[in-house]
Amino acid sequence: MDHIPIRGLKRYAASAKFTLKPVHFAPGNILMLFLSLLTLNGLAQKFPASSISDSLIENANMVVRLEEQSYEIRSTGKVVSHERHVYTILNEKGGRYATYRTHYNNKSVFINSVSAYMYDASGKEIRHFKKKDMEDQPAFDGSSFVNDERLKAGSFYSNNYPYTVDFEEEDELTELIQISNWYPQGNLKISVERSVYSVTAPADYNIRYRMMNSDIKPLIEEKGGKKSFTWEIHNLAAYEDAPYVNFLSYTPNLMIGLGDVEMGGYKGNMSTWNDYARFYGSLQKGRDILPEETKQKVHELTRDIQDPATKVSVLYNYLQQNTHYVGIQLGIGGWQTYDATYVATKKYGDCKALSNFMVSLLKEAGIKAHAVVIRGGAEQKEFVTDFTHDPFNHIICCVPLGGDTIWLECTSQSLPAGYLSEFTANRYGLLIDDDGGSLVHTPAYRLNDNIQLRRISATLDPDGNLNLESKTSYKALCQDDIESVIHGISREDQLRRLKSEFSLPTYDVTYFNYREDYSKRLPVIHETLKINVSNYAQVTGKRIFINPDILTRADEKMSEEKNRRFGIELKDEYKHIDSVQISIPTGYETESKPIDLEITSKFGKYVQRAGVSADKITYYRMREQYSGHFPAKEYTDLVKFFNDIYNADHTAIVLVKKN
Amino acid sequence: MKNLIFILFAFIVWFPLNSLHAQEKSGYKFGKITPADFNLAAAKFDSGANAVIIADVGSTTFEGNNKGYFTLVFTRFMRVKIMNKNGFDIGNRHIFLYHNSDGDAEKISSLKGSTFNLENGMVTETKLDEKSVFNEKYDKNYDLRKFSMPALKEGSIYDLVYTIKSPFDTELRPWSFQGEYPCLWSEYEVVIPPSHHYVMSLQGDQNFDVNTAKTVFSNYSIRRENGTGPTDLYNISGSSIDQRWVKKNVPALHEEPYTTTLDNYNSRVVFQLNFIQWNAETEKHDYMTTWETRSKTLLEEEEFGLALNYENSWMSDELKGITADVQSEKEKAYKIFCYIRDNFKATSQYGLYALSPLKTVFKNKQGNVAEINLLLTAMLRKSGINADPVILSTRDNGIASASYPLISQYNYVICIASIGNDVFKLDASRPFNGFGLLSTNCYNGWGHIINEANPLPLPLFADSVRESNITSVLIINDEKGKSSGTYKSTLGKSESFNVRREISETSEKTYEKKIQSESNPDVAIENFGIDSLHKYDFPLAVHYDFDVKNLGTTDVLYFDPMFGEGYKTNPFKALERHYPVEIPYQIDDVYLLTMDIPAGYQIDEMPKSARVAYNDNEGLFEYLIQKGNDNLQMRVHLKLNKAFFPVDEYPTLRDFFAFIVKKESEQIVFKKIK
Repeated sequence: MDHIPIRGLKRYAASAKFTLKPVHFAPGNILMLFLSLLTLNGLAQKFPASSISDSLIENANMVVRLEEQSYEIRSTGKVVSHERHVYTILNEKGGRYATYRTHYNNKSVFINSVSAYMYDASGKEIRHFKKKDMEDQPAFDGSSFVNDERLKAGSFYSNNYPYTVDFEEEDELTELIQISNWYPQGNLKISVERSVYSVTAPADYNIRYRMMNSDIKPLIEEKGGKKSFTWEIHNLAAYEDAPYVNFLSYTPNLMIGLGDVEMGGYKGNMSTWNDYARFYGSLQKGRDILPEETKQKVHELTRDIQDPATKVSVLYNYLQQNTHYVGIQLGIGGWQTYDATYVATKKYGDCKALSNFMVSLLKEAGIKAHAVVIRGGAEQKEFVTDFTHDPFNHIICCVPLGGDTIWLECTSQSLPAGYLSEFTANRYGLLIDDDGGSLVHTPAYRLNDNIQLRRISATLDPDGNLNLESKTSYKALCQDDIESVIHGISREDQLRRLKSEFSLPTYDVTYFNYREDYSKRLPVIHETLKINVSNYAQVTGKRIFINPDILTRADEKMSEEKNRRFGIELKDEYKHIDSVQISIPTGYETESKPIDLEITSKFGKYVQRAGVSADKITYYRMREQYSGHFPAKEYTDLVKFFNDIYNADHTAIVLVKKN
Repeated sequence: MKNLIFILFAFIVWFPLNSLHAQEKSGYKFGKITPADFNLAAAKFDSGANAVIIADVGSTTFEGNNKGYFTLVFTRFMRVKIMNKNGFDIGNRHIFLYHNSDGDAEKISSLKGSTFNLENGMVTETKLDEKSVFNEKYDKNYDLRKFSMPALKEGSIYDLVYTIKSPFDTELRPWSFQGEYPCLWSEYEVVIPPSHHYVMSLQGDQNFDVNTAKTVFSNYSIRRENGTGPTDLYNISGSSIDQRWVKKNVPALHEEPYTTTLDNYNSRVVFQLNFIQWNAETEKHDYMTTWETRSKTLLEEEEFGLALNYENSWMSDELKGITADVQSEKEKAYKIFCYIRDNFKATSQYGLYALSPLKTVFKNKQGNVAEINLLLTAMLRKSGINADPVILSTRDNGIASASYPLISQYNYVICIASIGNDVFKLDASRPFNGFGLLSTNCYNGWGHIINEANPLPLPLFADSVRESNITSVLIINDEKGKSSGTYKSTLGKSESFNVRREISETSEKTYEKKIQSESNPDVAIENFGIDSLHKYDFPLAVHYDFDVKNLGTTDVLYFDPMFGEGYKTNPFKALERHYPVEIPYQIDDVYLLTMDIPAGYQIDEMPKSARVAYNDNEGLFEYLIQKGNDNLQMRVHLKLNKAFFPVDEYPTLRDFFAFIVKKESEQIVFKKIK
């Protein structure tokens, strides 16, 4: 019911009725002078589209004509950055690169200047804007409720392709905590004419770097007590779109590692993972003090428990019952946690604050636990362990109990202790210890963990209507989506969702129930559904057509790709088992049924068996999907594997009336 | 009642004032919570809700200020109960505060919140502390206060009360009685001084539990400070109107497919300033009144129509070039339309006002919808064509009142051009849009022609738009007994636009791959092609040739005569429905099949012809199939003569489509001749 304003609508007090803003002030002669100066200045740099080579135009939506990024570390308290981005937009799809966005926060990141120009295909300037003309907004990152970050944005619009945009920005930072990585070719639909990246630092500053997916070397110069490193790359062509590619594994990219760092008055070092962890830990020092009342609660809850693992579960449950996630990222760049007392009184916090609170609770109970800095989310770049850098965006909690390590996602009010969802499972994180820390790896959930087991018993009436009861258990990663549904929307909305999500002709869900079984480390959700489907089977004069695979069908066919360039990345690993029994009207015999099938491939396994007796169809389906990386040439096999499954899933049993 | 005018939308039933409950008060007081208040068992609401609003009570009153004017005082009290852990979101609050560039601003004059928990039978209170209320700049006109209620747990109750003071009497705060969460008591009260006259519109469900209007005597004291000079003092007294609405046990709003916008069904009251008259002797100061005056003022506004009547000589040269060699007025209009559509880029999908002068729009070749279509109007006029702007509210923006010029309800401008006896509705802001075509989003009831002499309403009803798709499939046997065929699908206007946009966002190749993966698995596609991809005035057609695979390998052959084109699932999935079904056009789908019976086979069984009418003559599904000597022919026609289906027709509509799904999944069985 909140009133959300619409941008751009004006509002007047009655006294100001219909007074409109003054027309844009543009005195002709001054403007002319300004334009002619620009023309003189920029003669050599107008980037006519005609000079782009054909090889860079093919497959591309945008061509990076020139990109320059340079960072000068003057001290840990002062960094000056200069960026220039000249993009030629080739079509509508490339249009998004004509918008320029840049972040600042007025605490440690200041924008000195932005200038932006737009040129037509021949290189003639059409328009321009500056920092003061840009829209100023809070920078929503999707999960924060409140943060310090702000955004300036400005756009060019045109329907006349190709055209070129030229953005230049200079920033000043009063901290040194991270230097942007270099991704000259950010995605496969852009090509690059020339891209230059450089870092300059005092000669005695420890700059480290790691170039990935390319063997280009920096030009290193040292003079006047400064050392600079410059990388340059030319002519990267765009690619045709392709499914199952992790482009980050192919595109050249450079990571910069820092030595001494400084932020909000705190100084530290990031040369090694241990240094990084020590610095992170120093920011949180003394923030683990619980109010007396909470301490007593901890003792009250754990006094009679001997088993440490049970203590962890009980206190994690206490955290889940008494706090919730609110993304408040203020203070030192979102690095320093709100203290444990804050969470204890407000009952909310972000990932840092909730993890810190959890560690404090456990400490009070005499159990040593650690914050682990990690990168959450699905899209993963391969983690480089032997180069200290900063890819992280999330914090979880780790409790090493001898051989049994318990992982806790402190922003969840529902996951069982010890289970990490797809968001943080199977990856590296940095564990923060008392004075330092080290890399750790979170648990991976494999084929035999991620299981969906479904039993359906159904009755088909002579008109083709199907009445079914489905009992399904979803385990580990297979339960993540359903877990977020049952803990995200009301029961009424859960039913609405069920009533519209199945690919069945016309149906209604008459009963549903979810039961969570968190008695073991891996969570299981048991689902029961009762569904009536009208005209599920097609009943003609003498035949019945019925697909025995009712709820677990592959829903998309894949198409062949000629000249596949990239290797295949399959992320998901799971096993689906379906057993179906359908009572059918009597008096029919089988005319056709899916053949018994067993497909084994490097991508997975598929088994299908269908049997028909006088009054019953029995059907069994098993699909194992493996994760992994496969060479490009195996794409044809993958298409065949997926399409064979699709065809098998869509084959009907045909019954014909006995004579 | 003299200074309130009621507007009711055509589809809403008005219930007169209910005097029985006239005196009923909410009785909620901030912080007065007893252990019994935590038990909501007796209340009527969806028991699965994650949070329940126990009370949401708002009021707007006026008070005199010391700047010589009125201040609007809006106060809101909320009491919310968190039912379970999924309901914490309602504890995160945002309050938007407006300010303009002249320094006038809305201000929060008080804000107080507390969370109450029941612990061991005792009520504990945790106050919202001031330091936890964050101030954020949202954009150049809005600031935002953000806070999260403290100490929330399952079962918590929180109270929140705040007051916003505003100098903007053109913006009397609206009230929504319904929202994302169920609400047990939603109330709004306005007390309007005798000088101010508002038009009020009520929409959505209007079964109020309390709906009273009374006059109260009031006295407003207004001061104007004149620097060092003496302060002016005015006293305004007389009968104020005190209007109050209460709605109890309001269910949550839920999204449903095929609705224009839920806002149309939300129970809501909205105000627009009509006129101000200080007393009977002084002049009436109009803000809206009739379409005649409103059209006139819009045409005089710099941000709307003023430039339409200028000489606009800056466009002369360009116009000459565009319209050189044209043979007719219509061709002239067509050329100008295409010039703007193809050379100008829309900076947003909506727009009622030109924020930049037309000359700047023209020079920069970019603008919002209003800017582009006002420029179109200006250019047409400049070249001697009779053209006017039309304002409308798009489907996703909600229905605008037909009878009163509530300008804030509109969000879009098109152009209407008369050439001879023909009238064309033009929208040059959309790429790929044909001459005389509008997007489905524009068909949302009445638009309004902004013309000084003749400000007429323009009917733009979805019921008047027909979306005709024709698909034909031809399968023949060659001498060697192999089957091959051709497929062609000619799309309706709306679907043609969608495909053009999809291809512009991906590529023709990607679209071909998609068609291939969706096509019948038993055919191999070749010679794929798209007709009229860039001829926006014509329907787009997709066509290809194909070979039928695996024919003749089995004794029995099952064949889908719809060739994969039929409805496989009912588009109306849910069994129940709360709001009317609003389809953006009349559906008119024709499917034709002519096929040779595969060589060596005969028909063993085939579907029967059928014909079903929807509500007598409001729609039709016709499935005709006929067998010849060695071929068969089929024609399937689905036609709906309307686009709006009231809730009580939903079961009929769902059954109608259930029949279509059933019929279109039937197969033909061929048997090998032995």
